Amino acid sequence: MGSLPFEGIRIADFGWIFAIPHATSWLGSLGADVIRVESTTSPDLVRFLSGTDGMVGINRSGMYNSINSCKRSITLNLSHARGREIALKLVSISDIATENFTVGNMAKFGLGYEDLCKVKPDLIMLSGTPLGQTGPYAKTVGFGPTTQAFAGMCHLTGYPGGFPCGIGGTWPDFAVGVTMVFFILAALHHRDLTGEGQYLDLSMAETVTSMLPEGMMDYFLNWSDPGPIGNREESMAPHGVFPVKGDDQWIALAVTSDAEFESLCEALGIAGMARDPRFSRLASRLHNVDALEAEIAARTRGFERGELVQKLRERGIAAGPVYSPPDVMQDEVFQNSGMLVELEHGESGKRIVPGIPVGFSAMKPEYHGAPTIGQHTEEVLSEVLGYHPAQIEEFRLAGAIL
Amino acid sequence: MKDGASANGSGAAALGDLKVVEISCLDTMPCFAGAMAAKTFADMGAEVIKVEPPRGGAPERHHGPFKAGLPDPETGGLHLYLNTNKMGVTLNLESEKAHAILFRILESADVMFNPNPPTINERLGIGWRAMVERFPRLVVVSLTSFGADSKYRDVRGGDLIATQMSGVGYETPINQVTDLENEPPLKPAGRQADYLTGFTAAAGAMCAIYHRKRTGKGQHVDSSLWLSMISMIRPSMGVFTHDTTTAPYGVRIRTRAKLGVQWVYPCADGWVSFSPITDRFWQGTKVVMGNPEWAESEMFESLVARATNYDAIEAGLIDWLSSQKREEVFQKAQAEHVPCFPVYSPREVAENPQYKARDFFVSHEHPAAREVRMPGAPCMFSATPWRLRSPAPMLGQHNSEILSRRLGMSDETLEQLAAEGTI
Repeated sequence: MGSLPFEGIRIADFGWIFAIPHATSWLGSLGADVIRVESTTSPDLVRFLSGTDGMVGINRSGMYNSINSCKRSITLNLSHARGREIALKLVSISDIATENFTVGNMAKFGLGYEDLCKVKPDLIMLSGTPLGQTGPYAKTVGFGPTTQAFAGMCHLTGYPGGFPCGIGGTWPDFAVGVTMVFFILAALHHRDLTGEGQYLDLSMAETVTSMLPEGMMDYFLNWSDPGPIGNREESMAPHGVFPVKGDDQWIALAVTSDAEFESLCEALGIAGMARDPRFSRLASRLHNVDALEAEIAARTRGFERGELVQKLRERGIAAGPVYSPPDVMQDEVFQNSGMLVELEHGESGKRIVPGIPVGFSAMKPEYHGAPTIGQHTEEVLSEVLGYHPAQIEEFRLAGAIL
Repeated sequence: MKDGASANGSGAAALGDLKVVEISCLDTMPCFAGAMAAKTFADMGAEVIKVEPPRGGAPERHHGPFKAGLPDPETGGLHLYLNTNKMGVTLNLESEKAHAILFRILESADVMFNPNPPTINERLGIGWRAMVERFPRLVVVSLTSFGADSKYRDVRGGDLIATQMSGVGYETPINQVTDLENEPPLKPAGRQADYLTGFTAAAGAMCAIYHRKRTGKGQHVDSSLWLSMISMIRPSMGVFTHDTTTAPYGVRIRTRAKLGVQWVYPCADGWVSFSPITDRFWQGTKVVMGNPEWAESEMFESLVARATNYDAIEAGLIDWLSSQKREEVFQKAQAEHVPCFPVYSPREVAENPQYKARDFFVSHEHPAAREVRMPGAPCMFSATPWRLRSPAPMLGQHNSEILSRRLGMSDETLEQLAAEGTI
């Protein structure tokens, strides 16, 4: 398999919550030495958003543990002169720095891009904020899910003609995290070729809007706003979610041709419907989509989810069960996808957590469990930064290490 | 920062030395993941050659939005957006001659994005194993519904199915469902599974490029709509494996336990997103609401208490918001450092002073569509700025540039290939 691609690359990670931890965990699994700078006095709130076996605690968060694998954690007081000094020393021997504080906070600590460049001129620094570093609303605060409202996402998501909706999966945090991996690596590649580092100013809202071409291009071409269209699609009908037997059980299906529609009708035991002029051709199905969906839903209700999915798949129709997160975890194909790994955690013990969603034929990510808070402070300060134990003790007494 | 930093930067393109080949989606289930992946590279300066079928071209040419709703393969919004900065050649991959040409193009390529299902690739002789064997330095990126080697590899999927099988559809709309029967699981707007997978594949491709820097070897990168979307529920997975007893995710209805980090609410003249969860946000929220008595209850004293009693917070918040104006709530809440944003429509996004100040939307001339405006840099690079260098190619626009100038084929050969439908 050979060595991992990012061995020798170090990331000074000042990020927290979801997006940046997702990105740096990805890079860590492929060999980057990710050193998360945390604080016991204002810890990552994700450390308290869920617990282990019914108990919440700073080192017991299943959420934190699932997105912070492959990192080391040190605790520093960035408001303390010595804490800042340690942070600068870390940056001076890092390739990448990441942060997602409110605009201006890093500069307030004396750790803005200009400050960091003084100790590491070819540094790549990524700042992720709701609306970017510049502009009249640069100083706004927000999580990804609140920010996506600003970006057009909530307005366009919803049932046809219905209310604006928030999106599951704490969208767009993890999507933005994935883009961060790409942007950081593009900048790193440029540095490899030219020796030039740079500053990456990522606005979550802009990233979200860049993934909304359907709605945005309709506005720019036609000045129009179609509003939400539910699960529908302009080129397929049916294309939606339909109820099956049981409480809150659903299947999703998408029909790409008239022939497939015929198979669908046959599978549902309503073969005659395929000849109904209201539904026989795509154009007519799109025109009568409300009636179409009602007729199909009336039929799908009579089937067990698994049975109907299989029946449709056998006929080559795109269909799948609508999975709740627990359902996803129970899907055997997912369980065997290589994405789930069992890792050891200092307080939660052995637990299964997700790794990266991509497979590689010539390399294998190497995972290690998420750190407890400050787990690697001594290790990093002595082995990586070269401080003597007496100095470290001094930092601790002075309140530079929290 | 932006201006100062760019003034010092080289202004070069970050991926200017990389050559990418993008195979168009040939499946009847449209997939735009490959187009997005290649766009991310193209927009960073890589040379991208998009290989389209001579008849009709890539599927995004046939999907709206279209100007005035009139389908036109050269001027559709998706095509114009997804294919910026690319070169376009037409090759009928069903023909052996076209294969030979594709393989010659691939000889100098670094990355190949292929959004087609394994069965199509194998039939065409461009399955990942064959490609990796033939081109040992090439990074071969599959973008399939379920994974190129998955047990589900031949199951038909696409954006909707992948979304609904990932947990994201089930959780949408989040915390707003009051009628389980009539409010089914919902997909996010547009084709998020496709676009997310585009970025996921692009990130994976860069990881493989780094592996190649170390080893000289290419490899297969296996990305899928399904796993890319499942990755979005990453924290939920940890909740299950650490705390199965209290996991709040199994139920869609609004009265479930909540985490209080998001969600949108109606106000007097529109909607806002609002998050009062942390200590600081909650203190700010109380101030913004005028310090109502109910908010002083010990039910809301700590983060854990607020998460537990979020229903009560939400009821109070909704009641207060009903008399408030959208922009005023946004301004007032942000003044107290509380995460709150207006729910904006595409028009409001396009005309927003924040986006304008950052020149996010860009305009350019396209030979058929004339002036086109669209979203620009998804991230601002100080030294290697995102740049729109060329508009989406017309179908086959770069055939002669690639085939004759680069591969040295004669005009007669090109004419013959065109006549027989190879290009």
